[in-house]
Amino acid sequence: MGAFEYRQAQEIRDVFARHGCKYLFIGKSGAILLGFPDTTQDADIFAEKSPTNGRALVASLRELGFNLANEQAREIERGKDFVQLRNGPFDLDLVFAPDGIERFEDAWRRRVEVEGFPVCHIDDIIASKAATNRVKDRESLPRLRSFRAYWVERHDRST
Amino acid sequence: MSTNRTKEQVDPQESPCFGPAIPAEWLADFEAAARRPLALRMKYAFIKTYKPVLDDASYRSFDTMEDYRRWCEENLPDWLGYGRV
Repeated sequence: MGAFEYRQAQEIRDVFARHGCKYLFIGKSGAILLGFPDTTQDADIFAEKSPTNGRALVASLRELGFNLANEQAREIERGKDFVQLRNGPFDLDLVFAPDGIERFEDAWRRRVEVEGFPVCHIDDIIASKAATNRVKDRESLPRLRSFRAYWVERHDRST
Repeated sequence: MSTNRTKEQVDPQESPCFGPAIPAEWLADFEAAARRPLALRMKYAFIKTYKPVLDDASYRSFDTMEDYRRWCEENLPDWLGYGRV
């Protein structure tokens, strides 16, 4: 399996939209969509935890080529807090309750659209990484905070 | 205005960003990335390397984020950086 590609992000966007999934790109993959220049390995999706959304996610993931057993599908429909998928065309982490973000609706309200990709606001991405308190996140936070300053100014100028 | 800033930092009032001082090298990176189309940015950003243990299962799920964090700390090599500070 190779690295996650733009084409695959487009497939997520299009298939998820067709099935009516409510989700946001989060983590470093979200920051990259916003323009953050850095590297990462997989895509992180923050999905709304609800039975309807869970079923839509399962249908979408299967359409994208993820090989989900029935029990795995049920877990996604139920909305386990974290699901790591390595059984499809690319690596994908599904997060239903990221650290540092209280409710999906709040993050959804603050979302940013980039070429049709729904992305968490940079403040939510930073809040989530800061709350996680992992070594690798701690290392990337100073640069991410600098990017926030740059992005907010640029974003405010363009809106 | 402070006059003792380091050479590596751009003064907020002199940069297009009016937030905290951004190291000049990072600012140049951000500006360069902003000039690239998204497809190219993603091509540069996403890489694939084998991560021991983490990549050895095709599916994992955790009831809570705390369960996931604990599993990472107990099972992944420290150098992957998934341990909490």
